[in-house]
Amino acid sequence: MPDSNLNLAPVEAPREIANKSERANLLRAIRMALDIEMPAVRRNTQTFNSNRYRATALLPDYDALKDEARRIKEKAIAELPDLVQNIKTSVRLRGGNVFVANTAKDACRYIVDICRWRGAKLVVKGKSITSEEIHLNPALEAEGIEVAESDLAEFILQVAGEQPSHIIAPAIHYSRERITALFKRKFRTKLPLDTGEALTKFARERLRGKFLYADVGITGANLLAADTGTLMLVESEGNIRMASFLPPIHIAISGVEKIIPTRREMAPFFELLSASGTGQSLSSYTSFLSPPLDDPPFALPGKARKAREFHLVLIDNGRLKMRDDAVLREALYCIRCSACLNSCANFQTVGGHAFGGETYSGGIGGAWEAGTGKLENARFSELCTGCSRCVNQCPVRIDIPWLNENLAERLNGAAAPSPLGSVLSSASGAANDDRSAPASKIFFGNYHYFAKWGSRYSDMSNRIVASSRGRLAMERWLGVDRRRTLRPFPKETLVHAARRLDANPAKSPTAKAILYADVFTNYGLVNRGLATLKVLRALGADILVSECVPEGRAALSQGMIATAKNHAQRAAAELEPHVAGGRDVVVIEPSSLAMFRCDFGHLLDSRVKFQILSASTYDPVEYVVKLLARSGQEAREVFDVARSAGGQKLFFHAHCQQKTIGCASPTESLLRQIGFDVATSNVECCGMAGSFGYKKDFYELSMAVGADLFAQVAEADKDGGKRTLVASGTSCTEQLQAGLKRPVLHPIELLAKILKI
Amino acid sequence: MPDLATLFEQNAAAAAAEVVRCERTPLAVRTAVERAAEGARTIVLCDPEFLPVPLFAGLRGLAGVISKPDEEQLATAEVGVTEAFAGVASTGSVCVTLGHPLIGATSLLMPLHIALLPADRIVERPRQLFDPDRFNGHGLKRNLVFITGPSATADMGPLVHGVHGPHRLHILLLE
Repeated sequence: MPDSNLNLAPVEAPREIANKSERANLLRAIRMALDIEMPAVRRNTQTFNSNRYRATALLPDYDALKDEARRIKEKAIAELPDLVQNIKTSVRLRGGNVFVANTAKDACRYIVDICRWRGAKLVVKGKSITSEEIHLNPALEAEGIEVAESDLAEFILQVAGEQPSHIIAPAIHYSRERITALFKRKFRTKLPLDTGEALTKFARERLRGKFLYADVGITGANLLAADTGTLMLVESEGNIRMASFLPPIHIAISGVEKIIPTRREMAPFFELLSASGTGQSLSSYTSFLSPPLDDPPFALPGKARKAREFHLVLIDNGRLKMRDDAVLREALYCIRCSACLNSCANFQTVGGHAFGGETYSGGIGGAWEAGTGKLENARFSELCTGCSRCVNQCPVRIDIPWLNENLAERLNGAAAPSPLGSVLSSASGAANDDRSAPASKIFFGNYHYFAKWGSRYSDMSNRIVASSRGRLAMERWLGVDRRRTLRPFPKETLVHAARRLDANPAKSPTAKAILYADVFTNYGLVNRGLATLKVLRALGADILVSECVPEGRAALSQGMIATAKNHAQRAAAELEPHVAGGRDVVVIEPSSLAMFRCDFGHLLDSRVKFQILSASTYDPVEYVVKLLARSGQEAREVFDVARSAGGQKLFFHAHCQQKTIGCASPTESLLRQIGFDVATSNVECCGMAGSFGYKKDFYELSMAVGADLFAQVAEADKDGGKRTLVASGTSCTEQLQAGLKRPVLHPIELLAKILKI
Repeated sequence: MPDLATLFEQNAAAAAAEVVRCERTPLAVRTAVERAAEGARTIVLCDPEFLPVPLFAGLRGLAGVISKPDEEQLATAEVGVTEAFAGVASTGSVCVTLGHPLIGATSLLMPLHIALLPADRIVERPRQLFDPDRFNGHGLKRNLVFITGPSATADMGPLVHGVHGPHRLHILLLE
């Protein structure tokens, strides 16, 4: 395997690497982003992200609004062909025109024709990502029509010649300093332009005249109402209002999926959109317009006063096909708020020039690039680690990791099987459908198989893993980065070690449970399993340990969905008899727990089985809290903070999926009740994200994401010295140890050490 | 729980709008507009559609008011005065209906937009303006814009108020 990081120019223009149908472009784009764009992207996305948490917390009916929005979108997409007919009628009745463009080319041709027939020389545009999708600007410019981008971010991109890096803040990768340098270079000005105000004034002055003299204003639309032909337009600068109001001709372009049945149903969306996007209660301007407007257009002296003219250009460009595709259909519900971009740790680090294609970016971007272009353009969606932090942030409840896992499956399927991949998949029992996945994915996706044999012959495998030649081979053939420390296989697995422990104590147990022996605990962090048994038995629980069977997380994360389904069925079959016998299921590894709680909904054949199993699962500390509540004991009666060898100051980093399924806060509050001084991270993900950070191609990105977490630990340590690191996830533990060279405990290990009883 | 006007005041201020409470008399309105527009040389008035016209009568005599502005004057005026059709407490937004002569330009083109909002037309949440029973259903029928603070951008790095639209939004809350 050639070293793809070599022989590259140090700095590349984002346009050159916008198309990521070739994997090499993805890797080059990651490097470009880490080298140049990371500081601005990180600052800006993290600001959006924290503002969103604040704004959505202020919506008393946030969850109900999401449900309502989802319901309206599902209905709208189901009725889409009718809605297209309805909106045609509504707009035409008001005197406007509607054109439904099957392709990007058709849309451009229609718009160019309108401009040519009307003798337009200057077009002023509001921000429209859909216009980027159809490559409208080059089409107009080829006809000698000047296009003035009036959204300041689009203005920056037009000056720089770059593609958007974010769906609502397209120039999010530009710091103020880089904009200053760009403007000074391109406009050859001696003005200092060294503040945001000065840059804004500079751009405003250039653009005001364009608005006043433009022949045509082009805008997008955030939503369309079929019953009244109303456009909902959300913005903060005022340029969209100007583009839709000042010129005599207004052309609005929009994907067909933005149509909803009625204007009244726009109500839940506009609060949700602003809160989920920029994190404002409302953006400065939310307009509801049913064009053509009644008042006459603006005509400065010397310009002929013309009647208003309105054209709605509805774009299909693959959307109706997406509607027939069970997976891509979900993307049609997207209202383009960008919450999934801003809540994504990888996106926060590299932005949409790496985690994005020519138009669309972030978690939802892959489905859009695949749907409006070709599958290969979605290759960047490999940067979705499935951490699931976006899932609860999506205002229309799209399971974005599931979309990306499906895209990964399709990309795996489109590749030719490699000889090594075939050997590995035969040996490890990958499903037939997944056999053309690359060897590296087969390895990570069927890690349970390699871990089983690795631990059975641990002396030999640990020697290989410790040798530089072994690591070189693993890097070369399996893509496992040499710089990562690999934990040696334990002499004894959890399942074996548990057999030697005393049997369950209580004759009348307080609870009956089974500890699910997940792959990472069983073949890796065995102590976590033993600590769980110790604590729960001390609390009077009768607890068994399951056989170690994979639950499918590893396979799912590699897009090996058929294999993941097999694994999920096996794990369910292992646990179901116990659940039927009245046992709760305790799951240590949060990514496994999230499988039972969420992903099994996609993977198990039976919805009922999923619901029963899902409702029976517990994080170990969550289960401790439940047992304490049941017995009426105070946490301090059972645990003694003074016994903590590392002191009373902790730093707790919750696992990404643990946060999504709501299991982080019970841990945090129990630790506080016991008397610990708990500092917490607020990063979305540690950057390791399962196997992601082990992969050679993503090591630098993974460590760059981790740097945020490491800095937060260092900051917390300033207050009274080094804190004991506590983390629930296996991969978070490895990442923290790699970045900080300090031991990390699972909360249950800490609890086991401070048991009074 | 504070009353709607107080909530409105807090949330509008949080969105960087200026809010001044003002008695609902021509004289009080005139004084308040004069104070807010201090130093301005050109002011454009947009006659109200919902508020009583006499409330605006005192404004016509203000220095700098252009009685029948042409487009060039609209493009260069410094202050625009309009009524607001309704206000929203939870977001601090004023809602301006369009279609009335001059209102599009006066609420958008001038660096200072002064909006007159009757306190009894404040609703709790934005969606209530989409209720067909409220305000004769105008919220569902008319072209309108919810204005929340002055125009703003973060595209140039830090947050900047005053981009293409008004740099200041000054709301007179009429009691």
